[in-house]
Amino acid sequence: MPDAEPRTPVTGEVEIEAVAWISRFVGGDGSSRKVFREPWQPGDTVRSVLQRFSARYPELHRALWDASGNNLGEHIEVLVNDAVLGIHHTLDSPVQAGDRLSLIGQYMGG
Amino acid sequence: MGSTVPGGYAGKILRVDLSTERIWTEELTPEVCRTYVGGAGLGAKILWEEVPPEVGWDHPDNRLIMATGPFAGLPIWGTGGLTVVTRGAMTNGATNTQANGFFGANLKHSGYDAIVIQGRASRWVYLYIYDDTVELRDATPLLGKDTWETQQALEQLLHLSGHQLSVYSSGVAGENQVRFAAIAGDYGHVASKNGCGAVMGNKRLKAVAIVRGTKGLRVADPRGLMLAAEEIADDLKYDPSTRSLYEYGTLPGVMNLLRLGALPIKNYTTNVAPPGVDLDKWTAPGLRNGFPHRGYQCNACGMHHCHTQVLPAGPHQGELVDEPEYEGWSAGWAMGCTDPVAVAWLNTQIDRACVDVNEFGWLAGWVMECQEKGYITKEQLGGLELRWGDVEAANRLLQMIIRREGFGDLLAEGVKRAAERLGGPAAECAIYTLVGNTPRGHDHRARWEELLDTCTGSSGTLDSGPPVRHTEWGLPARFSTFDPEAVARVVGVTRGRRHFEDSLGACIFTTRTYMATLCRALNAVTGWDFTKEEAMRCGRRTAALLRAFNVRCGITPDLERPSKRYGSVPVDGPAKGQDISKHWEHMLDVWYETVGYDRRTGKPLPATLRELGLEHLIPALWGSEEAAHARR
Repeated sequence: MPDAEPRTPVTGEVEIEAVAWISRFVGGDGSSRKVFREPWQPGDTVRSVLQRFSARYPELHRALWDASGNNLGEHIEVLVNDAVLGIHHTLDSPVQAGDRLSLIGQYMGG
Repeated sequence: MGSTVPGGYAGKILRVDLSTERIWTEELTPEVCRTYVGGAGLGAKILWEEVPPEVGWDHPDNRLIMATGPFAGLPIWGTGGLTVVTRGAMTNGATNTQANGFFGANLKHSGYDAIVIQGRASRWVYLYIYDDTVELRDATPLLGKDTWETQQALEQLLHLSGHQLSVYSSGVAGENQVRFAAIAGDYGHVASKNGCGAVMGNKRLKAVAIVRGTKGLRVADPRGLMLAAEEIADDLKYDPSTRSLYEYGTLPGVMNLLRLGALPIKNYTTNVAPPGVDLDKWTAPGLRNGFPHRGYQCNACGMHHCHTQVLPAGPHQGELVDEPEYEGWSAGWAMGCTDPVAVAWLNTQIDRACVDVNEFGWLAGWVMECQEKGYITKEQLGGLELRWGDVEAANRLLQMIIRREGFGDLLAEGVKRAAERLGGPAAECAIYTLVGNTPRGHDHRARWEELLDTCTGSSGTLDSGPPVRHTEWGLPARFSTFDPEAVARVVGVTRGRRHFEDSLGACIFTTRTYMATLCRALNAVTGWDFTKEEAMRCGRRTAALLRAFNVRCGITPDLERPSKRYGSVPVDGPAKGQDISKHWEHMLDVWYETVGYDRRTGKPLPATLRELGLEHLIPALWGSEEAAHARR
């Protein structure tokens, strides 16, 4: 975890971290990061937690999902417990209380 | 102005033979404009036609092509660009590398779409251009000057400053034909890839100085152009991804790639930031606001991208530097430096010395690791101790390299050649492709698409870059960077987009919109009816030409692979354990099938060449093999 603060145990919640630029979509200024705690529900997947969370932030919702609202769009990368989505998890993988989902902007460099 | 060419074109190519000091112009035809557009496309055509395989990068008959495109000088954002095409020193193959600033706009307003330089001067000269006055002038007083000093000296001499004069030179590195010398100008803009500055130095051409000319540019549909330019600007300002580029340029890349495991740290030995680093300083606002700064935009650009900074602290406090691009910041991390002020200072020293920042980052990081492990000794380095993160020592190494002093003479050959010469365990730590180039400033072990693109590219660097608006081609919005099949398909399908962008005479950051939108702008400028499909076909034509050139030069598919370290498995971080090597052959199979090239020889297939309107290449590339291939 490159920039993580010490993890505080979370009971019944999934941590959602908007990193740097992505914090602009959830009320931040693009610096540092913003951390939210989303109540965990039985049967939750990466997709269901992110859909519930993004529903409260229209700008994030538009950036995170494609037109169907069900698959990721091109603008935001997702990490699950600091591993890139696709290594250990897919959108349909179950998440547990205490897991952390990180949202990172698409790389736009050269 | 050539009267028959479409809008947006000056209509002339400026030709310079340094051996004979002959200067002449050549008309650009409407057919050539439509087929190759300009920039990379025009350069690729000339390279293929005029540089036969026996003419290596350091042969006087090699061509140094500095080309613009139809957008240059027009009111579309970022349209001062030039594209350099040549046979480059790193791969001894094709080069296609872009820089911005004002060069392209000034050149177009002087009445030229491109400069083609051949021969080798008998004395050091610089090329002076102002409208119809084109002269080779004595460059002796400029020798030994870095890129900023060269520009300042010519500004003083010519009594011009700011946007009135654009000067591109190759620094001391070019004078000494450092194999990864670049061509840089306008205080911070660099065409850096494949040793194009070594070619310039080999020709004894110290600089090209272009006064902003007085010739107007005609466009077919001025109102349509303004609407399309506004559409491009709006897309950059409001799209969720490009909005970050609009506000901060490439600065957000550092934090994004760190969290994805793709920021290269200490020569690929880790993907985790060391404890105690204040990462808030490395966010885009942190990097921008951590320095007194001021916007320094290229021609007609409204982006908040290019900036100059003043160093706020440290041994060089108060010095003016160019705000590094992501690649400059990442080179610091590759050397283990996590102090933004120190990296910003070193980045400008690299630009002024005029070498490719990526190659230098890999080289310095490699030497640091090798010295730590005892593979390269302090004695070999002439008493220099190079510890992780020490930018002052890195600058001393840089100065040794650009003057080819001591061990610097070996390092001036670039990572691959230096590593192969040293051999043993040192060679196993070096990051490069077997073709001879090195990656951009990423850890591509966590960005498989760019690792594949870098190894299969035909331009001395990656050919396609990160996918932009790839859903336009029916590709899924998101794919896993560790899905070999999906990655190879995306890299193949998007091949050509950047070649098209590089042909327009505009910055690759301001063309990050839909191809359909770019075509609307191009059609307004020229009066054409380009569709996005024709644009992509045009880009693929350029890509195939550069590939054909490389095949003819002997660059074969067996070289399309990473060095041991470059293709290794990350030991920590977000991509820990991901191993591209076991998928490599399959990825190549998929990529070759997608782009329509022959997996065995690397050649674009005859059917591909025909589809791209390049059937005239078939006899030279395939000869009697064509019939045999058809039977297979």
